Amino acid sequence: MEALPPDLIDAILLSLKVSLTATILSLPAGVLAAYALARWRFPGRQILNGLVHLPLILPPVVTGYLLLLAFGTRGPIGGFLEAQFGLTLAFRWTGAALAAAIMAFPLLVRAIRLSIEAVDPKLEEAAATLGASRVWVFATVTLPLILPGILAGTILAFAKAMGEFGATITFVSNIPGETQTIPTAIYALLQVPGREGAASTLVLISIAIAMAALLLSEAVSRRVAARIGGREAPA
Amino acid sequence: MSQIRSYLRALGYALLAAMLCIAPARASDLTIFAAASLKEALEEVTALWTAEGGEPTRTSFAGSAALARQIARGAPADVFISANTAWMTYLAEDGAVAAETHRGLLANRLVLIAPSEAAQPASVLHEPPTLSTETAAAFFHRLGDGRLAMAFVDAVPAGIYGKAALEMLGLWPRLSRSVVQTDNVRTALALVARGETPLGIVYATDALAEPRVTVLARFPKESHPPITYPVAAIAGRETRAAPFLSFLSTEPARGTFARHGFIPLP
Repeated sequence: MEALPPDLIDAILLSLKVSLTATILSLPAGVLAAYALARWRFPGRQILNGLVHLPLILPPVVTGYLLLLAFGTRGPIGGFLEAQFGLTLAFRWTGAALAAAIMAFPLLVRAIRLSIEAVDPKLEEAAATLGASRVWVFATVTLPLILPGILAGTILAFAKAMGEFGATITFVSNIPGETQTIPTAIYALLQVPGREGAASTLVLISIAIAMAALLLSEAVSRRVAARIGGREAPA
Repeated sequence: MSQIRSYLRALGYALLAAMLCIAPARASDLTIFAAASLKEALEEVTALWTAEGGEPTRTSFAGSAALARQIARGAPADVFISANTAWMTYLAEDGAVAAETHRGLLANRLVLIAPSEAAQPASVLHEPPTLSTETAAAFFHRLGDGRLAMAFVDAVPAGIYGKAALEMLGLWPRLSRSVVQTDNVRTALALVARGETPLGIVYATDALAEPRVTVLARFPKESHPPITYPVAAIAGRETRAAPFLSFLSTEPARGTFARHGFIPLP
């Protein structure tokens, strides 16, 4: 183990910021997409399904390049966002968060979708026949039942966001303090002979963060499961 | 249960078949590991070599760091051409390459590029000027609040040389905050070609390979450590590699490298 220079500590903090932002902001869209895919029948459903899964199938570098084409300062969406809202994504940490969110989205949606499909539609129908609106049914019946699934998806998405490399480096490159995340920093260190020590320290730290996130999610989902089952969480 | 077992068995057969396909990978070809920036030039050189009766070759192009690490772990290569001396020295000290075959093969220059449309047409016709402490600042004016694309300034050779040159020209403190660092020099080239950044620093050979960029100026040779591409035979493969290594010094090979913008070393 080597003591970490400040720019690597920046990389760790930035990774956390990027991953948390990506996960939290994509959660509502993830729940909506999962619900639509699990419950609704509409034209273009398979296309939506394909689009959601695309980042899982495409090489990350391709996803990053497509992001650069669309959201770069010369891209149609990137140019519009910059002109209208002054929001620049290319070469900014916000762009890193966008790349991480898109790469993690399929994992988020898959986990939530599975848990929605596991909910007996009759429970929802029963609530509807008793006069509850669609939104109310979702909030009071479906949502509590799929909470473990949402949690699992969120943790998975966070872990994926923490590890995202290919799309991030292609879209926002590597700017220390702005877009240099843990994987980019590790990659940069491995390019130099003799910096393996600092690289291994970063590897150990990212393993620790991943394990902590996993243990946290296990603990929370045990509590949620216990509450759904109507029992107190075991101490 | 039996269904799962039959799936597993099928999977096992598939894996076995895959391994059998991989195992007898053609061990007969001369295998060359080379830095990614050499791709176009070296492919022409190996074609020449085979046309003149040399044995068939296989080439693996990647970043010098990745290749050097593979060679250090015993990758089945015969020849290694690195884009910088640090990795070759590392391998030579490690005993992974035959130190007596180690020599400088090519040199390269560092240039400042802009997207083609941004350059004055005149600069295409004339030999690009060489930057100096006096003139350099004017070139970087067009940066505005845009960014300067470079390879990783602490890790990838093109970025290390570029940072050294900017430091020498006294521009680094002002420009360091504007730099976007890419994982390799070709990505920096692509960012400029697409117009995502108004300026970039790449090798002269890269700029030559991309019609959508224009060379604004060259960095003076003495502003950075010499850009050398060393070559060496992998330890234990010296005899096998010797004919190809001497072919690299022949006129046709040197001419091909020169046409791609490299400077063949004596």
